[in-house]
Amino acid sequence: MASHFSGVLQLTDLDDFITPSQECVKPVKVEKKQGKSVAKIQIEDDGSYVQVNKDGGKQKLEKAKITLNDCLACSGCITSAESVLITQQSHEELFKVLRRNKVPDIIFTCDSFQLQANETEQKTVVVSVSPQARASLAAHYNLSSSEAGRRLTSFFKGLGVHHVFDTSFSRTFSLLESQREFVERFQRKQQDSKALPMLTSACPGWICYAEKTHGEYILPYISTTRSPQQMMGSLVKSYFAGQQGLSPQQIYHVAVMPCFDKKLEASRSDFYLTNAETREVDCVITSGEVLKMLEEENVSLNDLESAAPDTMFSSFCGDEFLSHAGSGSGGYLHHVFTYAAKHLFGEEVKNLTYKTLRNKDFQEVSLEKDGVVLLCFASAYGFRNIQNLVQKLKRGKSPYHFVEVMACPSGCLNGGGQVKPSTGQNQKELLQKVEDLYKAERPLLPEDDARVAELYQSWLNSVGDERAKELLHTQYHTVEKMTNGLTMKW
Amino acid sequence: MKEALSLVQRLSAHPDSRCWFVSWSPNGTLLASCGGDKTIRIWGKEGDSWICKNVLQDGHQRTVRKVAWSPCGNYLASASFDATTCIWKKKNDDFESLTVLEGHENEVKCVAWAPSGNLLATCSRDKSVWVWEVDEEDEYECVTVVNSHTQDVKHVVWHPTQELLASASYDNNICLYKEEDDDWECRATLQGHTSTVWSLCFDAAGQRLASCSDDRTVKIWREYPAESGPDLSWKCVCTLSGYHGRTVYDVSWCQLTGALATACGDDAVRVFKEDETANPDEPVFSLAAQVARAHNQDVNCVSWNPKEAGLLASCSDNGEIAIWRFQEEE
Repeated sequence: MASHFSGVLQLTDLDDFITPSQECVKPVKVEKKQGKSVAKIQIEDDGSYVQVNKDGGKQKLEKAKITLNDCLACSGCITSAESVLITQQSHEELFKVLRRNKVPDIIFTCDSFQLQANETEQKTVVVSVSPQARASLAAHYNLSSSEAGRRLTSFFKGLGVHHVFDTSFSRTFSLLESQREFVERFQRKQQDSKALPMLTSACPGWICYAEKTHGEYILPYISTTRSPQQMMGSLVKSYFAGQQGLSPQQIYHVAVMPCFDKKLEASRSDFYLTNAETREVDCVITSGEVLKMLEEENVSLNDLESAAPDTMFSSFCGDEFLSHAGSGSGGYLHHVFTYAAKHLFGEEVKNLTYKTLRNKDFQEVSLEKDGVVLLCFASAYGFRNIQNLVQKLKRGKSPYHFVEVMACPSGCLNGGGQVKPSTGQNQKELLQKVEDLYKAERPLLPEDDARVAELYQSWLNSVGDERAKELLHTQYHTVEKMTNGLTMKW
Repeated sequence: MKEALSLVQRLSAHPDSRCWFVSWSPNGTLLASCGGDKTIRIWGKEGDSWICKNVLQDGHQRTVRKVAWSPCGNYLASASFDATTCIWKKKNDDFESLTVLEGHENEVKCVAWAPSGNLLATCSRDKSVWVWEVDEEDEYECVTVVNSHTQDVKHVVWHPTQELLASASYDNNICLYKEEDDDWECRATLQGHTSTVWSLCFDAAGQRLASCSDDRTVKIWREYPAESGPDLSWKCVCTLSGYHGRTVYDVSWCQLTGALATACGDDAVRVFKEDETANPDEPVFSLAAQVARAHNQDVNCVSWNPKEAGLLASCSDNGEIAIWRFQEEE
C-alpha cells in the first residue's frame, strides 16, 4: 500500500518499511499468568490466535496494540501507524459515531432485562471544514468554493452532524497570534539568538520532521501559535462546550483537512484533554475521504441543496465564505509581513513582491528603506527547500526574519489528502483550478473580524493570560534518536 | 585470441577492515579507496609501484562506502554510513575537508558528480536520491529529493554527457531521472532483475547502461526513441547469466576499449568482451578473462583506468586493492 503521508514524513524513519518489526521498541505489556508453561498457539481461519493448552482447552489470545501516540513518541518506525490511523481517525469512525447517535436513548440488555440509559454514547457532532478542502471538492464538482461549502454543510447535516464550522474562522486566531508572536520575537532578537527567524507551525509534516531530526536546534525557532485545526479544537472543546453546557467528551469533533499528516497532529498528546479524557479534535478526515463518504452515500454535491453556514464559528459575509489574503497555505507570510511593516516600521504595504529563488516553492519578500533591508521573509515549501533552509540556519547563513514552511510542494492546496485528479485530468491543471477557486473567495483582514475580536474580549480575557496562552499556543518536543544495530544494511 | 588478466600489484589498503570502493582520478594518475576503517586513501605511482600518498581521516564517523572524483579532478566526494557526504578539495598534494552535506536520514550509499561538475547526486538507505548544486563559492544546495524507489538505494551514476541520472536499488529496479519543469522526475523504471541491483555503468557513448545484481546476472540496457510523452524508453537487450557464482557487486565499462569488468561475491574478477559484429539490438558478450581467486573474500568493486587502456583496479572485503593488467594477445 502506498503511504498517504507527506513526502517529508515518508523520508524520515517514520515510515521505514525495511525493518519495522525490528525497529519497534515499544514494550508491549504482557499479562503473565501462572501455571502450565506448555501450550501451542494456533491460528484460526479468521486470523485470530488461540492458545491450545495441554488439556486441549482453548483460549483466545489478545492482540498487542500500539497506539498512534506510541509511534509519535518513538524514533523508530511508524509503519503500523497507518493502520492505527485507519482504526482511530477515518470516515468510518465518523459514520460509527453518527450511527450510534441514531440508536434510541433507551436500550435493552438481554441478560438482565434491565433498561439502561445510553446517554454517554450520544455525542454532539461538530465538523470543521478547512477552506483548502472546500476548494478541492469545489473543483471536483465544478462549484464555487462557497457553494461547495454550503452544500457540504447540508450533506453533513443530513447525516446527523449537528454543527458545521469553517477553519478560516479559527485561522483568524492563528494569524493574529502569529503577528503578535513575531513582533514580540523581533523586539527581543538582540537578547535571544533563537528569536528569529520565526518558522511557521501550521504544517504538521514539517513539525514532525523538525522534532525527529533537528530537535533542539530548530524547535526554538518554530512559532508556538496553534494551527487553525487546533485553534478550532480549543474553540469547540472549550468555548463551545461551555456555551452548550456540554462536557468536552460529549462532543465529537471532526476536522476536514487537505492533508493526512493532520491526523498525526490531532493525536499529539499536547492536544489531549487529560481531565476530560478526550482529544480536542477527535478525528481528521481528508478531502478525498469526504468524497468517499459522498460516494458511499450515493450523493453528489451537485444534487444537494445549499445550507447557510453555521454562524458560530464561520467567516462569512451574507452567504459567502471569506478567506485570507496571501498563499493558499494560510497566508502567514502575507499577514505577518504587512502587520510587522506597519507596527515595527510604520510602513503601509499594499502589495507584496515575491521574488522566486531556486524554484517556485522558494520565494522571498523584503521591506527596504533607504537601501537598508528592514524585513526579509521567505516561503519554503517541499522537502528540498526545507533542507536548504535548515542547512542555512545551521551554518548561520539565513538572512530571514520569518519563513512560512510547508512540507508539500505548492503548499496546502496540493496536500496529500486532496481529491485526486480524475482519469484524464492533469495534476497541474487540477491544482491551478483548486488555487483559482480558493483565491476567488473574498479575503478578510484578521483584525477586521468583529466576531473574533469579541471572543478575545468575552472569552479569552475572562480565562486569564495563562489559560489564554494554553488555548492559543502549543509546544514542541525533541524526539531522542535511537540507533539499533539490527537495522544495518550494506 | 587469448586474453589474460595479470596482477600488477596487491596493496593492503585498509588493513583489518573492508575496502569498499576504488575510484580513478579523471587523468588516471591517482586512485582513491575507502573502507570500513572510516578513512579514504589516495594512491599514486612512484617508479613502478603504487604507494599511499594521503590518508583522509576524521571526515566521517562511520564506514566510508563510496568515493567520487569531480570531473576536474580537484574535488573528491565521499559517501558515508554516518549519513553525511564530505567534499574534499585538493590543495597541492594535500586534501582538505571543504564541506559536509547533511540531510539524508541514514546511511549514504553512493555519490556521483555530473559531467559538468555543477551537480552532485547522492543516494541512501532512506530510499531517496538527492541532487545537489554547487555554486562558484563552493556552496552546495539541494535541488531535489526524489523518492522513486521503495527500498534502500545502492548506487547512483550520471550519463557521461547528458544531465541524466540513474539509480539502482534493493527494490530490484533501476530508475532514470531528468529535470522537468524546475524539479527532477523519474522518467523510466527499468525492471528485469529479480534481486537487488548493486551497481550501474554507462558505456562511453551513453547509449547503453550495464547493471549488475544479487540475481547473479549482468544486464545491458539500450536507449530507444521515446514512444510517447516525456518518458524515456530503455530496454534490456542482453543478460549475462551463468558466469557468476554469487552476487555481482560491481560492473565497470572501459571507456577506452569497451571491455566490461565485474566484481563478484565469489571472489572472482571477470572481463567480458563484446562481439562487434553482432546486431546492436542483440549484443553478444563473451567471457574474455577471469581470475577465480582474485581476492580471498568478496570483490566489492572494479574500476578501469580512464586513460591507460587495460589497467583495472579491484578491491575486497579483506581490505586489499589489486591492480590488474588486461591484455588481449594476438
